[in-house]
Amino acid sequence: MAQGYGKSKKKPVGRMIVYGAVSVSLYAEVLTHQGLITTYFTRGALYATLPIATAFLFSFVHGGFTNYFWSVLGIEAKKSAVVRQRPEAERTEIRERPQPQPRLRARF
Amino acid sequence: MQDIVHEAVKFIDLNYANILYLFAVGFVGGLVSGFIGSGGAFVLTPGMMSLGVPGLVAVASNMCHKFPKALVGAIKRAKYGQVDVKLGIIFGIFAEAGVFYGATVQESIKRAYGDAGSNLYVSAAFVLILGTVGTFVLRDAIKSYRSNKADEEEKVSKIARWVQSVNIPGTMVYFKCLKAKVSLLFIIPLGFATGMLAATIAVGGFIGVPSIIYVLGAPSLMGSATELVVAFVMGLGGSFKYALHGLVDFRLTAIILAGSLFGIQLGAIGTTYVKPFMIKFVMGAIMVTVLFSRALMIPIYLAQLGLMNPLNETAVKALKNSSFAIMAFALLMGAFIILKAMWQGRRAERQTAEQEALQRVIS
Repeated sequence: MAQGYGKSKKKPVGRMIVYGAVSVSLYAEVLTHQGLITTYFTRGALYATLPIATAFLFSFVHGGFTNYFWSVLGIEAKKSAVVRQRPEAERTEIRERPQPQPRLRARF
Repeated sequence: MQDIVHEAVKFIDLNYANILYLFAVGFVGGLVSGFIGSGGAFVLTPGMMSLGVPGLVAVASNMCHKFPKALVGAIKRAKYGQVDVKLGIIFGIFAEAGVFYGATVQESIKRAYGDAGSNLYVSAAFVLILGTVGTFVLRDAIKSYRSNKADEEEKVSKIARWVQSVNIPGTMVYFKCLKAKVSLLFIIPLGFATGMLAATIAVGGFIGVPSIIYVLGAPSLMGSATELVVAFVMGLGGSFKYALHGLVDFRLTAIILAGSLFGIQLGAIGTTYVKPFMIKFVMGAIMVTVLFSRALMIPIYLAQLGLMNPLNETAVKALKNSSFAIMAFALLMGAFIILKAMWQGRRAERQTAEQEALQRVIS
């Protein structure tokens, strides 16, 4: 279910600035230490966790920044954004396994 | 794989132009992904290669950006109640198997027929899949629009009704987006095919999203949103595979992610302003346009394999440039349709809010 988009909210400027600052720092680190990053991130084996973990870190920090960025600009989901609850599709054919019938196996 | 790795790991030098270009392409790719659940990758990989990035590095770096982008997009759309996490994870696990198998098929074809054979296989897959599925999806979207039933609930397709009616004991699982139990025996081949397509043309969602909507019976909004979970699972597994071989150029990943995380959130927000058929329309339009792009490359590969007369250099260059231009156009067209629909939706919402405020004042 959609969350309470009906209420007017204070714009998250502070959070945008904090996440933005951390994001910019991370990008600055990557671009100013390209050689080091490339050396360690391409060593393979256990070092494979480095690009994966760093990608998660960027998704948290930069993802947070971009989320607040659009909110601060006033670009948010439509207030009535709820997925329409569709009724269950009619089952025209109900296939059920027949109940097993007891059978007498008699040997004469 | 090791020989290819040693040749492939030549990382390009980045300048401001490259950075801006990758940021912009990332943004547009993210916007489309956030809206239709997939796409963007088919431009990102050739886009990186046009900067001189070796193919495998482009694929690996793109993959490493795909899963965090999909994660952020899925979280955003989950807030709107559009994501079925269980379906996404189960579908994604089988898609991952499809990715590994598809990659093996690719490697076999490359060993047997070389680069030209591999490229021809990829292009043929593009034309076949995008031609059939894309045309079907686009026609369905146009039919919904023209029938003036765009505001009504989407109807479950006949195939999906049948799938939902089949009861195979021991395999049935309830999925909230379907509001029904469906047998895993239907989900396994669909997930596998999605993964195979992802390994072949880099965009599994062109099978994944239509199959979740038309075969399993999910609403368009939930189908496209759930695909983001599938993309996350596939992307994570695929990224590990490439990272183990040291193929990920994280600088490219980070720059594309910088743009795509802006785009994917905007695309996700956009889905709340449009009618469900618009998801199908954008997806179908992009697929049909991209198939023309790939079709233009087929004569080049046929000539390289000796299956048709060789082409002169001018013709080859013209075909390659046209192909890339049409591909870029497909993505930009998708982005334009999404932004326009969003703008119209927001304007309508503002007008409604103003009218309601006016009526409250009058009464």
